[in-house]
Amino acid sequence: MTLSEAIETLKTTLDPRKFLQSLERAADFYSESDSEQDSDSGDDSGNGPSDSSSGSQSGDSFKGSGAAVKTAALSNGTTPLIKLTDVWKIYQMGEVEFAALKGIDLEIYEGEFVVVLGPSGSGKSTLMNLLGCLDLPSRGAVFLQDRDISELDESELARIRGQMIGFIFQSFNLIPTLGTLENVTLPLEFQEMDPGKARRRAEYLLDIVGLSDKKKNLPSQLSGGQRQRVAIARSLAVNPPVILADEPTGNLDSKTGNYILEFLEKLHEQEGKTIIIVTHDLELVKYATRVVYIRDGEIEKIEHAEKHAEKHAEKHAEKNEMEE
Amino acid sequence: MRNATYVKMALNMLLHSKLRSWLTIIGIVIGVGAVVGIISLGDAMEAQVQSRLADMDLTKITITPGYSGAQSRMPGPGGPGGGGSSSTDAELTDDDVDALQGIDGVLYIDTQISGSEEVDYAGETATLSITGVDPQVWQYMNTLEVGSGRLLEPADKNVAVIGSSIATEIFDQEIGVNQVITVNGKSVRVVGVLEEEGGSEDRKIYMPLDAAVNLIEDAEEDVFDSIVVKVESEDLVDPTIEEIEERLMVSRQIHQEKDRDFSLSSSLSMAESVTEMTSSMTLFLGAIAAVSLLVGAVGIANTMFTSVLEKTKEIGTMKAIGAKNRDILMIFVVNSAMVGFVGGVFGVMLGGFVSTLFPYLGVTLMRGGSGAGTGLSPDLMAFGLGLAVLIGVLSGAVPAYRASKLKPVDALRYE
Repeated sequence: MTLSEAIETLKTTLDPRKFLQSLERAADFYSESDSEQDSDSGDDSGNGPSDSSSGSQSGDSFKGSGAAVKTAALSNGTTPLIKLTDVWKIYQMGEVEFAALKGIDLEIYEGEFVVVLGPSGSGKSTLMNLLGCLDLPSRGAVFLQDRDISELDESELARIRGQMIGFIFQSFNLIPTLGTLENVTLPLEFQEMDPGKARRRAEYLLDIVGLSDKKKNLPSQLSGGQRQRVAIARSLAVNPPVILADEPTGNLDSKTGNYILEFLEKLHEQEGKTIIIVTHDLELVKYATRVVYIRDGEIEKIEHAEKHAEKHAEKHAEKNEMEE
Repeated sequence: MRNATYVKMALNMLLHSKLRSWLTIIGIVIGVGAVVGIISLGDAMEAQVQSRLADMDLTKITITPGYSGAQSRMPGPGGPGGGGSSSTDAELTDDDVDALQGIDGVLYIDTQISGSEEVDYAGETATLSITGVDPQVWQYMNTLEVGSGRLLEPADKNVAVIGSSIATEIFDQEIGVNQVITVNGKSVRVVGVLEEEGGSEDRKIYMPLDAAVNLIEDAEEDVFDSIVVKVESEDLVDPTIEEIEERLMVSRQIHQEKDRDFSLSSSLSMAESVTEMTSSMTLFLGAIAAVSLLVGAVGIANTMFTSVLEKTKEIGTMKAIGAKNRDILMIFVVNSAMVGFVGGVFGVMLGGFVSTLFPYLGVTLMRGGSGAGTGLSPDLMAFGLGLAVLIGVLSGAVPAYRASKLKPVDALRYE
């Protein structure tokens, strides 16, 4: 399976209609979306990147993703989405070598909600960079869909990042000179999507995060929570299978932070998105299906939030039954 | 990423750029303005020279007494300005004219004397240059245009043809045809007024040689300040010069180059040297202007480096969300090209404005200027813009390359 095939397969596992249903509720949370939303969203659902797949196909594949959640939670069977084998990251600091990561082995499966928990300096940011294909390991290998990312050249890595991973940063990292809508459109432009389609998609996503009335605003004119919502909309722009968040609530008050996390949880539950959050905040553990404790560059322990995970899996199973 | 997106992103960067960027643009504005202005000046000068050359008779050879060793003398087209400058008291006489008879391709031989004398008219006095010419041939040898009246004719005695500015400017009262002016106390009737030519030509009085000899102090019969020879065509100028040289050496019994006491100059070689001088001056001024453009380019490069540094985190973000190295490179190069383009637009406007000022600045090289076509040609505008964009791209290339090569992880960490 080539990389692009893999990406396509992953994308078709997402049902745009599902996505809509779940996220409309999220939009209601802020009640900023108006009555037009229904018709808007109805139009826009057809414009999603996965509109090539027919309704029945996506229905089937959604079942598949539900199963994936189950298996992933139990950590057996199928190929991991991301696999780290004996990964070292060593920084040269003058004369001294400093190992930020010391032989990490980690497998992340499709549909998981993984929280990487560690104090500052534990190497969790370095780990995130590797998971996000932003950096290459000094030793060991990072496999994405069974493919070693060290073997890929820069433009291929950029393509993987652009198509498979949605980044959410602690400090939001919006482009300050671009308006909200343009910020959300940007990843689609890097993927050379048709401008009209990209625009509609971005408008739709802004609607979902409840910011459809702030399309023209610059990031500096938004509150922290609003900025992070724009960042989430941006991370969803290309409809990537993986959302990678680095301290997404670090710069937010707890109420806004909770909204963001609940939003991510919905993405996980209802879309089957694989969510990876890197944080030092113990609070976030409650959302996880699996918690990776990291300290001094080593994995201290991995904890399965069995109950939580099962609950999710059951939920999915029920839903699928109901649909059938 | 599409080209339109590069343009959009680059334009966004430009529009949100800080005062610093606009100051950088000023460097390019001045540079392009100077280069365009000077090229425009050069073009205008060349056009002037060309139009004068077209008017000018390039088939004349002027012989003057004295020899300064090199062809450094540049007498005006109508005749030499003064006598010999060498230490010997060389003279040109009838003998020399005789020696020149019978050369193949020579049409006319004119003998001239010149001097500055006081001219009175209507109670005013002015010192003007008077040239005595051979009325038999003079009218066939020159390219002067008559405004009113006529040129000198063989039978003329105490009459004169005057330049246009003598007629209209020098004296309060305008001099018309058949008016009488007084030269050194003697009355001279004006038979013709020349068209405006520009330059010193307009301030000359032409008279028949015999009459002029009487009027001009120090002048003697059969002694000339210059002999002007007209040949059939431009091609004959050089061989005829050689022939004249040989004949005069023989007739004046000069055996060695160092004893030579006469000079030859042709309007053709003069025209060539003027053209050469004009273009080399344009080149020189252009080179100076180019230096200011270079400084502008360095300014752009500097600003781009700073801009890349400032936007490091944004670059990291863009790479994280899928920008390829090439995308980043293109965004910055296009941005830099835009900076150049904006500078070019204003620079061309500045250059155009400056070139309209040339006539007022008294750029006398253009011989009176006559205000001829000092607007910028479309070609020159396109050249100025193209140059500015090129400079933008070149000076932005290295910073943009550096930006594109930033590792996403390092760029994201940058604060």
